[in-house]
Amino acid sequence: MKVQSMKQLLLIIVACVIFGSCHRENEQEHIPTIALVVKTVNHPFFVDMEQGARKAAESLGVRLVVQGAERELDVEKQMQIIENLIETKVSALCVAPSGSKEIVPAILKANRAGIPVVVLDTRVDEPTLRSAGGSIATFIGSDNFEGGRLAGEYIAEKLQGRGSVAILEGIPGHETGDSRLRGFRSVIEKFKGITIVSSQTANWERDQGYNVFQNILQSHPRVQALFACNDLMALGAVEAVAAAKKTGKIVVVGFDALTDAKEAIRNDRMAASVIQYPSEMGRLGVESAMKILNGEAVPQYTPVKIGLVTRESLLAEESQNNSTP
Amino acid sequence: MTHLTSYARSLGTLLGLILLCLLLWILTPYFLTVSNLINVVQQTSIIAIVAVGMTFVIITAGIDLSVGSVIAFSGVVLGSALAAGVPLVPALGVALVAGFLCGLVNGLLISYGRLPAFIATLGMMSLARGVALMYTDGRPISGFDESFRSFSTGELFTIPFPVLLMVVVYVIAHFVLRRTKLGRYAYAIGGNEEAVILSGVNVRLYKSAVYGLCGMLCGLAAILLTARLNSAQPTAGIMYELDAIAATVIGGTSLMGGEGTVFGTLVGALLIGVLRNGLNLLGVSSFIQQIAIGSVIIIAVFVDMMLKKRSR
Repeated sequence: MKVQSMKQLLLIIVACVIFGSCHRENEQEHIPTIALVVKTVNHPFFVDMEQGARKAAESLGVRLVVQGAERELDVEKQMQIIENLIETKVSALCVAPSGSKEIVPAILKANRAGIPVVVLDTRVDEPTLRSAGGSIATFIGSDNFEGGRLAGEYIAEKLQGRGSVAILEGIPGHETGDSRLRGFRSVIEKFKGITIVSSQTANWERDQGYNVFQNILQSHPRVQALFACNDLMALGAVEAVAAAKKTGKIVVVGFDALTDAKEAIRNDRMAASVIQYPSEMGRLGVESAMKILNGEAVPQYTPVKIGLVTRESLLAEESQNNSTP
Repeated sequence: MTHLTSYARSLGTLLGLILLCLLLWILTPYFLTVSNLINVVQQTSIIAIVAVGMTFVIITAGIDLSVGSVIAFSGVVLGSALAAGVPLVPALGVALVAGFLCGLVNGLLISYGRLPAFIATLGMMSLARGVALMYTDGRPISGFDESFRSFSTGELFTIPFPVLLMVVVYVIAHFVLRRTKLGRYAYAIGGNEEAVILSGVNVRLYKSAVYGLCGMLCGLAAILLTARLNSAQPTAGIMYELDAIAATVIGGTSLMGGEGTVFGTLVGALLIGVLRNGLNLLGVSSFIQQIAIGSVIIIAVFVDMMLKKRSR
C-alpha cells in the first residue's frame, strides 16, 4: 500500500515540476492570442520562423503560442495540437502544414470554431479544401518553383550547358519539394547538353543524403553537379563527396541556406543554396493574423522573397557588415 | 490472485491519471470542458486500440515493433482499395486482413521459425514500411467520400465513433483475455512457455494467433487514422510502437510476460494522452513533452518493479 501511494506521490512531483516551470495564464482577456503551429520545433527553419513571429508579436503587443510536433511528418500530432489550441480559444491560428491534404480536417475544425487560419510555408491542397467546404484567410510562403529555377540556372551556368546532374528529392507528395523539383527540371530540360543521370529521394534527411549520394557516385562517377531539395540532404551529400575525394569537383546546390550550409559554401565544400526567409514568413504571419482580427483585408497570397547564396554573395555580405559596424 | 494484484496495480495508475486531471483542472480553465475531454479520448483512441494488441503480445512475453509500419501498410491498402472504387465494407475487410496477415507472418516467424520476437518484428517494421512506400511511390492517397470519413467524424449521443469503437474493442479484448482459451494460454505462455508446451497445448498456434490479432487491430487503427486525416500515408504511424509499448507498461503489464490487463493499458494510454493534451493547453514546448512522457514511463515501471520485489 505504501508503495502505491509513493507511486502517486512521484507522479505528482513530476507533474508539478513540469507544470511549475510554465507560467499560469493570467486574465489577459483583451490581449489577443495568436497560435503558431510549425511542422517541428527542432528544425532551424522553423526556429527562424518562430523568432520572426515572436518579434512581430512583441512589437504588436499580442500573445504568441508556438507549438509543433516532434517529427516533421507527424500530421496526426499536428492535428492534435490544433484541436487542443482551439480549446484554449486562441484568436487566430498560423500553421505550417505537415501535409497539404491531411491538414484539411484540422482547418475545418478551426473554421467551425470561428478562428481565422493563416497558412505559412506549405500550401494547403486547394481542391481538397474546397470540396471539404473549408477556407483559409491567406497563404504566406516562398515561391518554391522559383527557388528550384534559380538553382537550375546556377547549375546550368556552372556547367556551361553541358554535363550530368543528379538530384536528391525530398519525400514525394510534399508540395514544397515537388515544386522545387519542377522548377529545377523546367530549367535543366531546356539544355540539351545536360542530362539528369539520377533523381532519388533522401527523405529530407542528412544521413540519407550521405548514403544515397554515395550510391549515386558509385553508379555515376562522372556526375558533375547535384541539386538537393533541402540543405540537410545537400550537407550529407557534401560529406559523401569529401569521402570520395571529389570536394570542389562537384557543384552541390542545396535549398534553405542553413547556417551549416553557409559555412560549407564559405569553405568551398558546397557551391550554393537557395535562401528562403522563414523569419519573414513568421513576421508576416503574425502581422496578417492581426490585420484579419482588426477587420482589415489581406491578399490571398503573399510571396516571401527568395534568393541564392553563393560564396561571392556571402563574402560581399561580410565585407558590407564590416564596413558598417 | 495474480489478476487481483494486476488490477490493484492498474488502480494505482488510475489514481495517477485522476490526480493528473485534477492538476490540469487547477492549472488551466480549458482542460475540464466536455469538448476537450472528448478531444483527449478521441486523440488517444487510435494508440489505445494498437496498445490492446500490444498488451496481448507482451502478456506472452513477446514484443511487436512493427505496429506503426503495419498501420501504414494496412492504410495504403485500404486507401488504394477505396480509390479504386471498392465498396466500403469489403475495403474495410481488406484493411483488417492486410493487418492480420502482417501479424500472422510475425507470429509464424516467431513460433515456427523460432526467431526472437524482437528480430522478427524489427524486420517486419522495415519490410511493411518499405512495401507501403513502394506501393504508393511514397505519395499519400487522399480524398475519400463522406461514408468513409464518418468513421472519424460520426458520433452517437455526442460520443465520436472512434471512441465508441475503442470501448467495444476493450470490452471484447477483456472478454477474450479472461474467458477464452486464447486469453488463458496467452498468460500461461508468458508465465512459463515450457510448461504449456509439455502440457500438450499447441503453443505455436496460439502465439501466431496473438500476433495475428495484434496485426488485425493495427488494421483497425489504420481505418480510423485514414478517416481522421482523410488520407492514407505510407509514412503514417512512425514511432507508434513506442507509444503502444509505453501505454502497456504504464498500465502494469510486465515485459517479462504472464501478467497484465487491458484495463490497465487503457489507463496507461489515457495517461499519455492527457499529459500531451495538458502540455499543449498550457503551451509547453514539445521538448518538455518528451521529457515528461519519458519520466512517466520510467517512474511507472520502476514503481512496478519495486511492488513486485515487495510482494515476493
